Amino acid sequence: MAKCIVLRGRGIVEGRCKAEALVSTKPISFLGDVDPETGKIIEKKHDLYGVSIKDRVLCFPHGHGSTVGSYVLYSLAKKGLAPKAIINHKADPVIVVGAVIANIPMIDKIDIGKINSGDIIKADAYKGIVKILKAEEG
Amino acid sequence: MKILVKIGELFDASRLIPIESAHVSGVSYKTLGEAPTDFLEALANTGEKIKVEATLNPQSLDPKHLATRLPKHLIEMQLKLCGIFEKLGFKKSFTCTPYYIKEPRKGAHLAWAESSAVVYANSVLGAWTNREGGPSALAAAIIGKTPDCGIHRAENRKPKVVAEVKASLENEIDYGALGIFLGKILEDKIPLIKGLKNPSPEDLKQLGAALASAGMVNMFHYKDRIKTEERLEKIIVEPKDIKETVAELTTTRTQKTDLVFVGCPHCSLREIKKIANAISNQKVRDDIEFWICTSRLVKEKAKAYVRKIEASGAKILTDTCAVVTWTDKLGIKTIMTNSAKTAHYAPTLNKAETILASLKECLKTALKE
Repeated sequence: MAKCIVLRGRGIVEGRCKAEALVSTKPISFLGDVDPETGKIIEKKHDLYGVSIKDRVLCFPHGHGSTVGSYVLYSLAKKGLAPKAIINHKADPVIVVGAVIANIPMIDKIDIGKINSGDIIKADAYKGIVKILKAEEG
Repeated sequence: MKILVKIGELFDASRLIPIESAHVSGVSYKTLGEAPTDFLEALANTGEKIKVEATLNPQSLDPKHLATRLPKHLIEMQLKLCGIFEKLGFKKSFTCTPYYIKEPRKGAHLAWAESSAVVYANSVLGAWTNREGGPSALAAAIIGKTPDCGIHRAENRKPKVVAEVKASLENEIDYGALGIFLGKILEDKIPLIKGLKNPSPEDLKQLGAALASAGMVNMFHYKDRIKTEERLEKIIVEPKDIKETVAELTTTRTQKTDLVFVGCPHCSLREIKKIANAISNQKVRDDIEFWICTSRLVKEKAKAYVRKIEASGAKILTDTCAVVTWTDKLGIKTIMTNSAKTAHYAPTLNKAETILASLKECLKTALKE
């Protein structure tokens, strides 16, 4: 049996998806932190260093840094390397604009500390709902 | 338009407000790439034009020094991208310091991207702008308006935290390090930075550029006389915090420097003058490139200093900088810079080792004894 936790936030860019979570405790600057050619995190000091964000539900506290990040998200989406959805604690305009033009479902005002990498997530950005389907432990 | 309405909805804007100017990022083909170039081309083909005064961030080419040294297809794509912006109605400003071209009025509403310029405009010049994403700054330039949200509202510009600087900041790299240190811990809380001793505008430029690179906060207060609400959370910045941050921004202690780069953000006239005077009659070493980056306008104004600097073998580049061009394709493996922002980005964006060093030390490294 899987147990299910429901978190309620705010839907930002509409869409629904079900995919595996990838959770970072660190903010992300898409320009610089993410390689647009591979979709991998290339910032050595980042906790997701070397990991691909492709097709994951990418959960991180907020965006920071370069304002070109919006375009990097768009590039990733065009190459099929974008995350399936973005979940933030606090939405940042650079990430929002990127998600809008790249058409990536996005939700914020979520306590991402409740989500672990590897959890299966059902994200409904129409309603701002994140369902965490965890495999039963032990 | 959809972009602006979305931002407005999210951040509780009740209306769109007219802007004095826009500043657009995402102009270098290196940082943009193919898909966003197509996106912008499609926009330009609709016949849309900018309606307010608007400037462009740096691109990847300098007309004099880089145009012949980079691979042909990259040059072609950059020229194509510049043509797209021209079609949208932009002039060839290509700088991250639009405030040296025209200083915004105090209290004017702007829609600026380029995070370093956003922080400088809000904190040093007293203009009001959110940190726009590249596409939303462009959208604002086209409609001449921006959503009335975030720090376009007085109540959101107040300090939320006090940063008490116990360290004495000796030069621009200490100011940059302070920005990186605070950027990492502030989240979105605007700081009142106390304890700065007569910072120059250029010191504050370094502080703001670094703050925005490492964090999400878009402005700082630094004048002690500003009124704060009763009890604010306090952060103490110790000398060791600055020292450790400076050390972390240097990735190599053994590798030979290939490029000494000054001008992130682009140099002011005062900085060019300072460099010219410091160089005196010395020459740049044969095994090192020395770049000083600025805008076309400042270079034009600095003619006499430019001649002196170029006589040394140093290169004054306009329209671009080391971060937004392909230094790796020029064989540059190690970059020494006095900019904490560059030191923060260069390991990933330039695939280079970095050395953060003061202007004095940069000059010592670049010049023959």
